[in-house]
Amino acid sequence: MLDPAPESSGRAGALSATLSSPAPDVRLLTVAGEVDTLTAPRLADGLTGLLDDERSTPVVDLADVSFLASSGLAVLIHAAHRATGQGRALHLVATSRAVTRPLEITGSDRLFEMHSGLEEVLTGGGSGPAPRGAD
Amino acid sequence: MSDMDRTDPGGPDGASVVEVKTAATAALIPTIRAVASDLAARADFDLDAISDLRMAVDEACATLVDIAAPGSSLRCAFSVHDERIGVEAEVDVAAPDTTVSTDTFGWRVLQTLADEVELVGAKDNGRPTIGIKLDKRAAALPR
Repeated sequence: MLDPAPESSGRAGALSATLSSPAPDVRLLTVAGEVDTLTAPRLADGLTGLLDDERSTPVVDLADVSFLASSGLAVLIHAAHRATGQGRALHLVATSRAVTRPLEITGSDRLFEMHSGLEEVLTGGGSGPAPRGAD
Repeated sequence: MSDMDRTDPGGPDGASVVEVKTAATAALIPTIRAVASDLAARADFDLDAISDLRMAVDEACATLVDIAAPGSSLRCAFSVHDERIGVEAEVDVAAPDTTVSTDTFGWRVLQTLADEVELVGAKDNGRPTIGIKLDKRAAALPR
């Protein structure tokens, strides 16, 4: 994936969040790094951009996230509620324990369509019903 | 800005004690949670318990950094026992009536992650301090 050039946001540079469109009806936010109180605002910005596009299936790839703090969980949960309000589900790709454990222990994994790989989303598999917008 | 002391085994009840002291800034919390993770791994914690401890320490430190007096240090002491790790994190606060809000998502997460959590208010040489004590067992409860 593309890693954006270092930005002038000081120590929050440990997180990157990049928007792309891997398929015509899929909008993807690829997140890499550590999500904590310093970097959660950058994740929040990325999620806002992701959900502003209401016509495609929103997917967040957290496969390269090596730490997820409660501040990051809160941002993800907020985005899940926003997606629900839009009548669609927010898809999460989570593979590492650093991401799956916080989601599971807090029960917040139930708010998302969870996937173990990006291919699974692009081919329509996953933990729940297919999202609207797949028409 | 940060210094670490690894003291010899021989703390109360035979625990190994590791203390980390940094400036009370969020930018240094990654260092503290890395220490937590390392200690838990060396103490043969299971993988879920390592993850839980790392996240709990992060949460406790982030909470304290938020209310720390300007220029305060963040002090974090780990007591490594056979089957558990105790953590005491502490900052100086400017006003004696400073409190930690426990009616937050972050605090509920902290209570979920740790086996025991306690808020501690004290005075250190006359300066008001606030601390968070937590305890994590080596085997995480399945959820």
